[in-house]
Amino acid sequence: MKILLTGLFLNLVHLLGAQNCDITLQGVIKDKATGIRLAYSTVYLEESDALFIADSTGMFKIESQCPGEKHLNIRHLACDPVRIFFTLEKDSFIVIEMEHHIELLDEIQIQGRRGESATEHSSSVGRREIESSSHQSLAELSSNIVGVSVLKNGTSSAKPIVNGLYGNRLSIMNNGLIQSGQQWGNDHAPEIDPFVARQISVVKGASSLAYMGNNLGSVVVVDAGPVTNDPHLQGQVNYIFNTNGRAHTLNSAFEKNEGSLSWRLKTSLKHSGDATAPDYYLKNTGRREYNASLQLDHKFSEFWNSSLFVSSYNAELGILRGSHIGNLTDLETAIGSERPFYTEDNFTDSIASPRQDVNHHLIRLKSIYFFNSEDFVELSYGIQLNERKEFDVRRSGRSDNPTLSLKQYAHYTETRIEKNVANGWRAKAGLQFQFIDNDNQAGTGILPLIPNYRSRQPGAFLIFQQEKAKLNLEFGTRIDLKSYDVRSISQSLPREVIRTEHEFFNFGISAGIKRAWSPSIKSALNAGLTMRAPEINELYSMGLHQGVSGIEEGSNTLDSEKSAKLTLNTDWYINERVFLQALGYYQYITDYIFLAPQEEFRLTIRGAFPVFKYEQTNARIWGTDFLGSYEISDQLKYTVKYAIVRINDRSTGFGIINTPADNISNLLRYEAYRNDRGDSFFLQVAWQYVLRQSRVAEAFDFLEAPEDYSLINLRAGIDFHLDQGIMEFEIYGDNILNTRYRDYLNRLRYYADDLGINFGIRLNWKWGN
Amino acid sequence: MGIVMTTSCSDDDPIIENEEELITTVIYRMSPVGGGSDVEFQFSDPDGDGGEAPTISSEALAANTAYTGSLIFLDESGEETEDITEEIEEEDEEHQVFYVVTGNSLQISYNDMDEDGNPIGLSTTVNATDSGTGNLTIILRHEPIKTNSGVADGDPTNAEGETDIEVTFNYTVE
Repeated sequence: MKILLTGLFLNLVHLLGAQNCDITLQGVIKDKATGIRLAYSTVYLEESDALFIADSTGMFKIESQCPGEKHLNIRHLACDPVRIFFTLEKDSFIVIEMEHHIELLDEIQIQGRRGESATEHSSSVGRREIESSSHQSLAELSSNIVGVSVLKNGTSSAKPIVNGLYGNRLSIMNNGLIQSGQQWGNDHAPEIDPFVARQISVVKGASSLAYMGNNLGSVVVVDAGPVTNDPHLQGQVNYIFNTNGRAHTLNSAFEKNEGSLSWRLKTSLKHSGDATAPDYYLKNTGRREYNASLQLDHKFSEFWNSSLFVSSYNAELGILRGSHIGNLTDLETAIGSERPFYTEDNFTDSIASPRQDVNHHLIRLKSIYFFNSEDFVELSYGIQLNERKEFDVRRSGRSDNPTLSLKQYAHYTETRIEKNVANGWRAKAGLQFQFIDNDNQAGTGILPLIPNYRSRQPGAFLIFQQEKAKLNLEFGTRIDLKSYDVRSISQSLPREVIRTEHEFFNFGISAGIKRAWSPSIKSALNAGLTMRAPEINELYSMGLHQGVSGIEEGSNTLDSEKSAKLTLNTDWYINERVFLQALGYYQYITDYIFLAPQEEFRLTIRGAFPVFKYEQTNARIWGTDFLGSYEISDQLKYTVKYAIVRINDRSTGFGIINTPADNISNLLRYEAYRNDRGDSFFLQVAWQYVLRQSRVAEAFDFLEAPEDYSLINLRAGIDFHLDQGIMEFEIYGDNILNTRYRDYLNRLRYYADDLGINFGIRLNWKWGN
Repeated sequence: MGIVMTTSCSDDDPIIENEEELITTVIYRMSPVGGGSDVEFQFSDPDGDGGEAPTISSEALAANTAYTGSLIFLDESGEETEDITEEIEEEDEEHQVFYVVTGNSLQISYNDMDEDGNPIGLSTTVNATDSGTGNLTIILRHEPIKTNSGVADGDPTNAEGETDIEVTFNYTVE
């Protein structure tokens, strides 16, 4: 029997008949990625308050147990801790697989189902890291993965960039649904609370054909994971305070199994005021968030189970007051200014205009029926409501009227079948349909930047996979038909509504091969052709973009982008202590859509503005991600990550805007047990170095790219086993040298320095009754 | 790919917003202090940022003549013309107009002040001196910091704030 639990596989094999309080429980602890046995893990049996240490071969033995319900806490340094529940009836042997190299998970586990691809490369951020940094945004947390960067607008928004792809080219899957609302531009962050996730994964393949949406090969997957099988209430409270911005984060999580029904409830509250650069407060950069999610998993029978997932994300975000400017003269003055406009000498907690109110609500229903242990059919339906209001500084008390007010409903439904066919081949097929209804809400007093529209997208995919001991093969194809029904408002007087319809037919194919050269070296080669239909902002943006100081014009004659991508990944376990991973990718995009600066400035009543129009060119993206780790001793581990990416316009040879600069990050972590109860402590130092982005043409920008910079972060933590659960306490310092810097990918670099020094504390209490 | 374009008039059409905050027209009217006909500079862009290009016109001023300048903001995008100047007057502490002159033939000074005693710039005194030409840039700033250095004297350099209007006229004094 193979049961999937949060973060591990558990094999429970009954050996002998039961004897009263004379039962022996034996087990072995392994690294999930490699199968290597993990020596000296600790196994804490809660019911007897007893600690056992696995031997050098990862084996442990617990004797003289009475039958009954048992909880085991398994910990290994540098792994996400694991807590499992089972009923012990007789002598048993369990196999526990821990995620020792979470960054290397080859397969993304989605709600207990097998991963989407047998040959693609993906990396993850695990539960421990998410809980530790739950004050961060989804994009910031994902950037712990090599090759992932963050496109920011100060503290108010952060979007992930994966191997040079972001925004419309990168799909984000929020618990099985394509995150809606991403079409509105680069200053809108994905409306997801990372604390909801058990795991955040990034697929860096050549094509991700099972996912609808407009990805050109990369997908960020946020997954809450299955609910516990433990009939005892499990709880967690997580509190974080950061001095920079005086930011509080409070998370809670509860889950329980009640027979055929399991439930989980999570909440997050965030409250912060003005953040600080090394020399000044960043006025009006506060933030509020109120988030909750509920998951109900119901087992109708051994073969049929269903799940309901509901989440609500609500945020109010302040935008740096000094970044809200009227025209190009203001921008030039702001760029030349030593401090941002409106900088004050005191901290403020309140949020004023310019600001954004963002709400995102999601409901997903899923039902899965197994024909046998592996073949199944799955039906799912989801709806998302995304509401966004943006408030500017306006005349005559209108600051409380939004300048932009959008409401979007996104419906999504999917039918999927996975079945083993002949000769070890497995087939996956799916039909998908998405409907989006996007409306501007009346009362803004401003012509909308994005028109009202509806889009319909039916799609289908078919994938064949063969998994063998040394060789995995995969072939796939998908088709999509995307249509838009757009109602825009004319530029000329008298204003009238213009209705436009578009249709795009897209297809994709891919092939992949993964080969294990030896137990310690694996390589994966992926090739894919994919297409992406232009999004609504690329087709129809019209007007002055808030604070960008440019007139942005869509072009409704754009064609789909066509991408050809090749990725090659190699994982090499040189020995038990040294691991290397290298990913190389090459992508050629025909009809790449980008904002092209136009030669003429447009004269308006606020002065002359540069005009940027969406045009198409051919672009080439290539790069490498490198990761190495070295376990210097059982306690000390060093990890290095290095990423480079190049994006060029093939017609001009210029580098394309928003290409991440080369960056390298280093982490040295010391972690050891303090006592024989398995309580531990750790110390770590992280050093990140970001080079100057010197390859982007200045014609695309108002300001040349900022200088290189390096940051040092420190963190220390300690944990205790209490009578009830485990308490963790951490303290940390970010940018501890209070370095003054500006990052190329942060749009606020025109106006202000990036964040200065920050000290934080974190308290976490987990318990199970 | 296919496109079909039609003019729409169905129930689910978007509501065309009444752009009540929009300023489409700036008129700088200069009346000779000793009497005579007004001189007007006008910038007009009734369809807003896109569409047709704006029209700019300026009449000649007489040398060695003093004028009283008044600035008028209009919204001419709708069927009825609306005067936005009143909105600026009501929030005079949060607004200031700057007059940036090149050339030597024109001098402009403030003729009004808000409750704090700082200039607004809706009413001005204009002195046309010798014959000559140059440019006049009229800037309306929202939420300037009027106490910053030089701002009360009409220099926008340190004023901060957000530019709502920035229009440039060629002037001639003859």
